[in-house]
Amino acid sequence: MVMDALRALLSAFFGTLGFAILLQAPRRSWIPASGIGAVSFFLYWLLCLIIPESLALFCGAAVGAALAQVCARKMRMISTVFHTMAIVAFVPGLALYRLMAQAAVGEYSSAAHFGVSAMISIAMIALGSSVGSHLSRRRKHT
Amino acid sequence: MEAMRLAGRLIVENGGEIYRVEETITRMGRAFGLEEVESFSVPSGVFISFSTPDGGSECSVTRVHKGATDLNRVDQVNAVSRRVEAGELTSEQALKALQDIVNGRRLPWYLLIPAAGLCAAGFAAMFNGGIPEITAAFAAGALVQGFATLLERRGLHSFVSLLLCGFLSTVIPLLLTLIWPDLALDAAVGAALMPMLPGLAMTNAVQDTIRGDLMSGLGHGIQALLTAAFIAGGAAAGTALWALLRRGALL
Repeated sequence: MVMDALRALLSAFFGTLGFAILLQAPRRSWIPASGIGAVSFFLYWLLCLIIPESLALFCGAAVGAALAQVCARKMRMISTVFHTMAIVAFVPGLALYRLMAQAAVGEYSSAAHFGVSAMISIAMIALGSSVGSHLSRRRKHT
Repeated sequence: MEAMRLAGRLIVENGGEIYRVEETITRMGRAFGLEEVESFSVPSGVFISFSTPDGGSECSVTRVHKGATDLNRVDQVNAVSRRVEAGELTSEQALKALQDIVNGRRLPWYLLIPAAGLCAAGFAAMFNGGIPEITAAFAAGALVQGFATLLERRGLHSFVSLLLCGFLSTVIPLLLTLIWPDLALDAAVGAALMPMLPGLAMTNAVQDTIRGDLMSGLGHGIQALLTAAFIAGGAAAGTALWALLRRGALL
């Protein structure tokens, strides 16, 4: 359990850090943005143990987006940098890959299953991050 | 007008949100003393209008071709717009500052290659992969990024590049099954594809739509679907070629 938790935290941190560099985020944002990505993914991982995954995605994305707004204000940077990194770990890459792989071999019903799952995830992430951003946003130029 | 056009173009080109483009232009315009400044932006263009003292109006249309995402540039443009709003920069000074951003250096390619590897390796661990899957994902992610950089320098169209990169992301972990027969392909290939997958673009498209930017949401959504389709095409071709080679007992 502890090892799984550590794996969730570290994998999200390094996955997000890689993305931050790839998307050419400002250098001073790399570590805090990766930290936000790791914390929000860890929260999602914890919540998955007690509530349905889609709800956990919503909560993780909302908390990540709220943290991103706070961090953007503190560091006087655009919220996009932190907001993007806060939700990048939730992106349903595996479901999208499975959707493609199943469609490629003609397993359309299985592909549809993964497609619907990916779409629900995407909608929950988008809703969660919108709610999180709005709740923590001030009318300031961030 | 030039400074506002360049600011808008830079934000769209480098992956900033549509609402940010419109907000930045409007704030800069007001700070320059212009009246009735309006801006409308879509993923492929920026439209600006304002009224002139003689009662007329001026407008401008800028066609934008989106490049690679560079959040550092979006942040720099935002910093310039803040300074304009604070009255620290005139329109000429703002234009000069924005031109400096255009001429500024991006992160070097040799940093992006291990970054893609790190990203893929992180996701392989997240997908419950072990050491072989993490290693395979790192190798595939880094090699694909290197290949994509090469294709970009040759001026190859981005969708063709996506097709070839999708192919390579699948083939590299498949080849590594010759060394690690028990390699979990789901985790390794899924993670290797992560840096390219349009999951983030899809999420942004939904967010744009929720925010009321319907045109932008639609544009980003179609772009994300096309990206996914090309990557899927490449990945499917890689899987099919592998199956063919295995059936022919060439491997």
